[in-house]
Amino acid sequence: MSKSSITASGHTLWSKMPKANTELFALTYGSLITELLKDYDNDIEEINNQLERIGHSIGIRCIDELLAKSEVNGIDIGPCSNLENTAEVVAKIGFRCFLGMTCDVANVTEKSFSLFLYENPLSIFVELPETTNGDDDDRHQSFNSDGKENSGGGPDWSKLKYSNVYCGVIRGALEQINMKVECDFVRDVLRGHDVNEIKVELKEIMSDGAGQDYHEE
Amino acid sequence: MTFLHLFIVNKSGGLIHHRPLSKHAPHIGTNDWLRIGSTFHSLHAIAAEASPVKSKHKNDGIEFIEAEGLILCCFQTRTGIKFVITAEPGTRNLQKVLREIYVSYADCTLKDPFYELEMPIRCELFTQAVDDIMRQYG
Repeated sequence: MSKSSITASGHTLWSKMPKANTELFALTYGSLITELLKDYDNDIEEINNQLERIGHSIGIRCIDELLAKSEVNGIDIGPCSNLENTAEVVAKIGFRCFLGMTCDVANVTEKSFSLFLYENPLSIFVELPETTNGDDDDRHQSFNSDGKENSGGGPDWSKLKYSNVYCGVIRGALEQINMKVECDFVRDVLRGHDVNEIKVELKEIMSDGAGQDYHEE
Repeated sequence: MTFLHLFIVNKSGGLIHHRPLSKHAPHIGTNDWLRIGSTFHSLHAIAAEASPVKSKHKNDGIEFIEAEGLILCCFQTRTGIKFVITAEPGTRNLQKVLREIYVSYADCTLKDPFYELEMPIRCELFTQAVDDIMRQYG
């Protein structure tokens, strides 16, 4: 598929999808994060992992929806001939049709690519609090814009990958089509960088089918 | 010109759904269904290997079987699930119906929070959606 037809397909699919309220979406996600913080006692590493797992369960289902809806709308995504093609589909069709996001592909190598996300609907109301180095005598309180209080001696907020769910979604979706990848949120606007960047590395392409026994020598 | 049966086979060859699509459909016992499901899965895979011409599309395998008493159409998704439908000879729109069923699968079954992937489908919404499709095309 050519780049322009991929973009056009993304727009078509986006127009056919039922829409939800952006604020409701962002605030629901925010409350999910808050719950995770309570459940895991502010253990940021664990929360990042949980977000990735949640994303994985979402991703394994999203891929079928994407493929099904594109079939019935006459969009032939076609098997991707190389990793760049896959990256374009994920960025221009995947992110576009589910979230309406514009997303660019960059740094494509044989085994990896980067996705740049420009507007992130999940983090529209979010500000990460300052990381405080706690002393018991010096209780420092900081707030994020949801109005939640965070007392001092606190977690290292700069390590929180707020939108890590996207990494899980990409991993889950590609796993269903036999591509084992690892995703990482390397740059995040919430942590002070200028753009959101997800790095996706291809680990292996799994093969299914009749198996080696049936292949001709 | 009616549809007879629908069955869905998962990635590993297990049958995850089967149902009759009309009153004319002959009754098939559960064990027979399981056998049909796994046999079809294996035949599909072997057909892909046995094919003299390698298709560009990775989804090689059995697409259509036309016999005197029935026609069978199979649609394998990129994710490895096979949707198979049988019908009386002369029935049309089999491919379209399968794609609509795929969309219903994505909308009803996959979005059901209690449904685990690759497990038997027990979703009321999916059954109703397939009924609606049958009403439209049957």
